[in-house]
Amino acid sequence: MPVTIVVPQLGESVVEGTIGKWLKKVGEPIAKDEPIVEIITDKINIELPAPAAGTLGRITLAEGVVAQVGQELGVILAAGESLPGGSAAQAPPAAAGTRAPSGPGPAASPREPVGVGAGAAVGASAGAAVATAPPSTDGQRISPAVRKLAKEHDLDLSLISGSGMGGRVTREDVLGHLEALRLGTAARAQAPVAQAAGALRPPAAAPAPLKPIPAPSFAAPGAREETVQPLTNIRKKIAENMVRSRHTVAHCSTWDEVDMTELVELRARMKETVKATYGVSLTYMPFIMKAVTRALKEFPVLNASMTDTEVHYKKYYNIGVAVHRDQGLIVPNVKDADRKSILQLAKEIEDLGNRTRAEKLTLDDIQGGTFTITNAGMFGATASTPIISYPEVAILGVHLIQERPVVRDHRIVIRWMMTLVVSFDHRLVDGTPAVQFLHRVKELLESPESWLLDSI
Amino acid sequence: MTPIAAYDLGRVPYREALGLQRRAVLARSRGECGDAIYFAEHEPVLTAGRGARPDSVKASAQELARRGVEVVSIERGGDVTYHGPGQVVGYPIVSLPDLPSGRDLHRYLRDLEEALILALGGWGLSGVRRPPYTGVWVGDAKVAAIGVAVRHWVAFHGFALNVDPDLSHFGWIHPCGIRDLGVASMRTLLGQAPVREEVIARLRDSFATIWGRPVIESLSPEPAHV
Repeated sequence: MPVTIVVPQLGESVVEGTIGKWLKKVGEPIAKDEPIVEIITDKINIELPAPAAGTLGRITLAEGVVAQVGQELGVILAAGESLPGGSAAQAPPAAAGTRAPSGPGPAASPREPVGVGAGAAVGASAGAAVATAPPSTDGQRISPAVRKLAKEHDLDLSLISGSGMGGRVTREDVLGHLEALRLGTAARAQAPVAQAAGALRPPAAAPAPLKPIPAPSFAAPGAREETVQPLTNIRKKIAENMVRSRHTVAHCSTWDEVDMTELVELRARMKETVKATYGVSLTYMPFIMKAVTRALKEFPVLNASMTDTEVHYKKYYNIGVAVHRDQGLIVPNVKDADRKSILQLAKEIEDLGNRTRAEKLTLDDIQGGTFTITNAGMFGATASTPIISYPEVAILGVHLIQERPVVRDHRIVIRWMMTLVVSFDHRLVDGTPAVQFLHRVKELLESPESWLLDSI
Repeated sequence: MTPIAAYDLGRVPYREALGLQRRAVLARSRGECGDAIYFAEHEPVLTAGRGARPDSVKASAQELARRGVEVVSIERGGDVTYHGPGQVVGYPIVSLPDLPSGRDLHRYLRDLEEALILALGGWGLSGVRRPPYTGVWVGDAKVAAIGVAVRHWVAFHGFALNVDPDLSHFGWIHPCGIRDLGVASMRTLLGQAPVREEVIARLRDSFATIWGRPVIESLSPEPAHV
């Protein structure tokens, strides 16, 4: 049945908001939780997530209109639905604090959130813009499977707080409650029911073990909401590459802590000048890449590839950099990184990043890589175990550089530290060269001034 | 207490910071990263929020074009704002339910103001609010502008604190549509401009106080460029 989009509670002092921009048009398909309309209040603009999947059936209030909290903004229709007469979808906009008719008919699917109630949205999960009724025994909101499960265990559903859409009690909630009962933490809440029903297991008896929870099935969705989107070609390709690597390569990872303090200071001293003089943002990546190519020359097996019968040691160093895109990861590479200066590398890495975001990478940019660096520190990771970009045989993971306490000369001091991880293909690369390679990269990064001068 | 990572992006093109914010919001909303504040500085640019009125830009299109100043329409609330060198711009990419304000949008704005006021106090400046406007004033002059957007309950955009900008550039606009109050910088208020790093350090401390969580200076191999 149609789902009404309402202005949710946005704060104690927020009673109304101006409708900014409708991000969807009438008739346009909508995924659940997708931003659908903007509400502006004071200096803040919030994008309301769609309370359900479907298509936008109606825009009740147009852009620029001031809407009260709880008021209907529009209606979402499920597949095959149209706006029915006399239903919630055609109810006049409700004033703040009043209840619009929600009309959950007997045909209502338990998977659809229903009902409109100003104020109740505050606790709704994921900030969905719909306000549904509080958890209740209302028959239409609990799936038959959950109802049956509760009955089997003589549980009163009204006493179980729901975590589903709009507080709906889900299978997990029931199982969680049973577990809590078993542990005694939910005894108080459930006790009156137990007495009334008189059927809860006697206290002396050992609690019966719970049936194992079956693995979620794609074919038979449970009571939880889900949206289905077609797999993009990019995502298919990424999945294919990842699985091929995982199935082919004998992955093994080793890591070490690198003291980046000298490099942090060096970069801090240089970055303004570099930016002003060359217009390039000097990141750590060119230094890391340079250290990597130097170390690869000492441990050539990490820059190789293997077939069933041969090992190809590459005498060129095309270093890939994993770049995050919203559509999915991509790994362009810097060609002949060993023959380029830090400055050139900085420019090329910046250029690759810009062209990735502008979607202007060429095939050449992403082919012919010999070794990859991936930066999981971008959004704050302190360690990871990266998957090798097959047919390469190793990948270096760089992470967040953060101040940590370390011991130097029997004293605890604060240094800029980074975890460095190398994943290597243990079919070809033994542990010894992998660890030695990693140690060499660490040495180079810890004392940049010792090698930068004679660096190309 | 989950810490909040603070990054100083240095001077970056506005659109780049915008792209970074949008990616960060997505990552934060998916739980792929924690809360963060990105500090930045921009070349002169005008940004038009959702509340922008056409007459808020005073400078002619030709003059702006000649100076290479772009007007960028963005999703935050508020009118037209100027960004330029000498400002410390802060973009908290934070999950609202994890902050003291919770899902109270006005409280979040007031907390941003409070953190700015607290930081200004470090130089003996008395920042004040001017209801019903949002922002921070010292006396009758606005010293910090605020504009925020929220997606999947993650806040982005944020504030711009005038440390030492070219105040004449504010003549290009009616700052956030407010026509009867002036604009100030910390330089005009103090006689000299504080060091950018010190401003950022004090802001980190202020946010840590207001939000009751550690705000940790963090460096990573540059989120924007890797």
